[in-house]
Amino acid sequence: MMLKRILAIFMILIIGFWLAKGLSGIPFGADKMLVGKYYLEHVKDQTGAINAVTAVVVNYRGFDTLGEVTVLFIASTGVAALLWRKRRERTAKMEGSVVLTTGSKLLFPFIMIFGMYIFIHGHLTPGGGFPGGATIATAFLLMYLAFIVYEIPHKGFEVTEGLAGMSYVLVGLIGLVIGGYFLFDWIWQTWKLGTIGKLISGGFIPVIYTIIGIKVATELSGIVDNMLKEEVKE
Amino acid sequence: MSQVASLLIALPLISAFFVPVLKQIRKSLIFPYLVIITLIQTGIAGWVFYEVYTTGKPILIYAGGWKPPVGINLYIGHFAALFALVIAIVSFLTALFSFKAINVEPVDKYAMLFLLLMLGATGMIATGDIFNLFVFMEITAITAYALTAYNKTGEAAEASMKYIVLGGIGSSFFLVGVALLYGATGTLNMAQLAEFASEGNIAPVVAQVGLALVIFGLAVEAELFPLNAWAPDAYQAAPHPITAMFSAFVVKAGLYAMARILYLLQDAQGWSSVLKLLLIMATLTVIFAELSALRQKDVKRMIAYSSIGQIGLIALAFSLGTEAGVSAGVFHMLNHAIVKALMFLAIGYVGVTLGGTRLENFEGLGKKMPLTAFALSVGAVSTVGVPLFNVFWSKFRIIVATLQAGHVWPAALVLFASVVEAVYYFRLLHLIWFSGEGERVRESWFVVFLIILALLIIAIGVYPTPAWEIAKRAGSDIFAVANYIKNVPLIRLG
Repeated sequence: MMLKRILAIFMILIIGFWLAKGLSGIPFGADKMLVGKYYLEHVKDQTGAINAVTAVVVNYRGFDTLGEVTVLFIASTGVAALLWRKRRERTAKMEGSVVLTTGSKLLFPFIMIFGMYIFIHGHLTPGGGFPGGATIATAFLLMYLAFIVYEIPHKGFEVTEGLAGMSYVLVGLIGLVIGGYFLFDWIWQTWKLGTIGKLISGGFIPVIYTIIGIKVATELSGIVDNMLKEEVKE
Repeated sequence: MSQVASLLIALPLISAFFVPVLKQIRKSLIFPYLVIITLIQTGIAGWVFYEVYTTGKPILIYAGGWKPPVGINLYIGHFAALFALVIAIVSFLTALFSFKAINVEPVDKYAMLFLLLMLGATGMIATGDIFNLFVFMEITAITAYALTAYNKTGEAAEASMKYIVLGGIGSSFFLVGVALLYGATGTLNMAQLAEFASEGNIAPVVAQVGLALVIFGLAVEAELFPLNAWAPDAYQAAPHPITAMFSAFVVKAGLYAMARILYLLQDAQGWSSVLKLLLIMATLTVIFAELSALRQKDVKRMIAYSSIGQIGLIALAFSLGTEAGVSAGVFHMLNHAIVKALMFLAIGYVGVTLGGTRLENFEGLGKKMPLTAFALSVGAVSTVGVPLFNVFWSKFRIIVATLQAGHVWPAALVLFASVVEAVYYFRLLHLIWFSGEGERVRESWFVVFLIILALLIIAIGVYPTPAWEIAKRAGSDIFAVANYIKNVPLIRLG
């Protein structure tokens, strides 16, 4: 046992040293902003967004984000597939205190509104679809934890999740039709819609982030729902 | 017009997202839907294949209209065009097979994961950006984890657990490697990375560490020793159609990604030591897998080990660093995809019909299910490398290329492993044809597709030149990096 631990520590030290050697070859602080500089210089006129990170994530490298949305979709689908049982119910027994339940009810709309605020303003302030969606999912998590019988409407959530994903791809396909490229930002590049810095700006970034926000919120809530329920014997 | 090829990615995605809606309309439509979507995908992939091979030019897709390295580009060259087609065809066959083989609920989730597995593998071979490669690798890997555990038995959960832990570690290694390469160059585009490497602008130590991390990370997906311990369990526990997909293209996507990144950086210093590492891993993979297959009592597990052994052979071909080796490796990839798709479909078919894939179930199969047994036998004989079957030619070329590169020991060891392979395959054949008694079992229409695959194996075996020409062009797509750089129009920055 002891020997195993010593060996493991030894191995980790070797790997750490090796990685450090690799890192030493990278000149930190030196000007290696090859693509980064381009983004910073062109982000406003090319995408209409103030937030350079969301512009890169949704517009320049939007293909990756589409992939990440898919990864999350797979995670929730996978959990649902593995935990699938004919009849599943919540089996929590302990009722929460009145302060907790009332407080949660009061907080719920506030968290929802804040989550929406985050994903709608993705092109202007830090945040975007993923944090916004996660915030909304915490509102549902709160309800699940405060009440022993609370349940989200599954059918609706599943369909919404699917439709949100389809709309993301559809926005991309419209880009293919209008601009000739998949995921082309037709709202900004073709229509020049909006003024930079205002809410209506940033091309399709707010549109896509709204879609992602809805998708992430329904997916994470679905995962919570699946994991909290247990099989019931008939 | 060529941008329409982005449908290869967009179609499986949008159709996977549509499944929850379809489920509310009518659940019985899900499997026919799966078949139709994979058929359309095959059509698109066929068109792309035709375009690329007739014009000789790769199709470049610019996501969002941004030219590389600012945006992400897909590079559908000869290799990607060929394998996008293979992926689509195998997916179509497995979708047909799913009708019979999948009766575990929830089938709607199965259909979504199925489509996304196809999408992930297509994306991995088509992308021209290393971070995008990571994203597609995650899509492939996470669907694979979920599908491995899909049967919800104890052993499936265990297999999936092993896979998820190893895969998670592998992915993080890969990501650290990508971060190192980005830190050293400031770009994620494959063509530009290759340009940096050929101009000697990557510090040797960074190139070496980054490359080794990337290779190690991908080795989990590519099932190389010592990171392939998850594979036999996962192959055995996964639903039958999914096993066929794992062996026919998921592992290939990992192998290809490995070869692509490896050859992009071929001008970086310290490259040959990474090649040596890969050579050792590949040879050990072949030896261990074939020896393990010898003692298996379950046919599906036995073929799983055999598949890993063949994968080791491909990795060996890629680790030679010569054009002949790479082309032979691609040829073997193609042949192996056909053979193993046939084998796993046939074994799964027997498993579904006779209940289980234990060795006893195959006794007297020649009398019970003669057509299936015939297809299975063609696959088995071909894998061993008997002349007049397709795998013979690619195995032969790999061994010749290995000897040409001056590696006598690996060639000898791999040949020895082929003898071991012959032992357990002929034992299986003996069991199928010369022992046991059995009543004739009715075989369904699905057997037609098995027979077609078997005939394809023989056709390539008798007349290998066209397939070899295709493989050679696909191979030079990986090897000729200067060409690759030339084909990607990079914007000059700064």
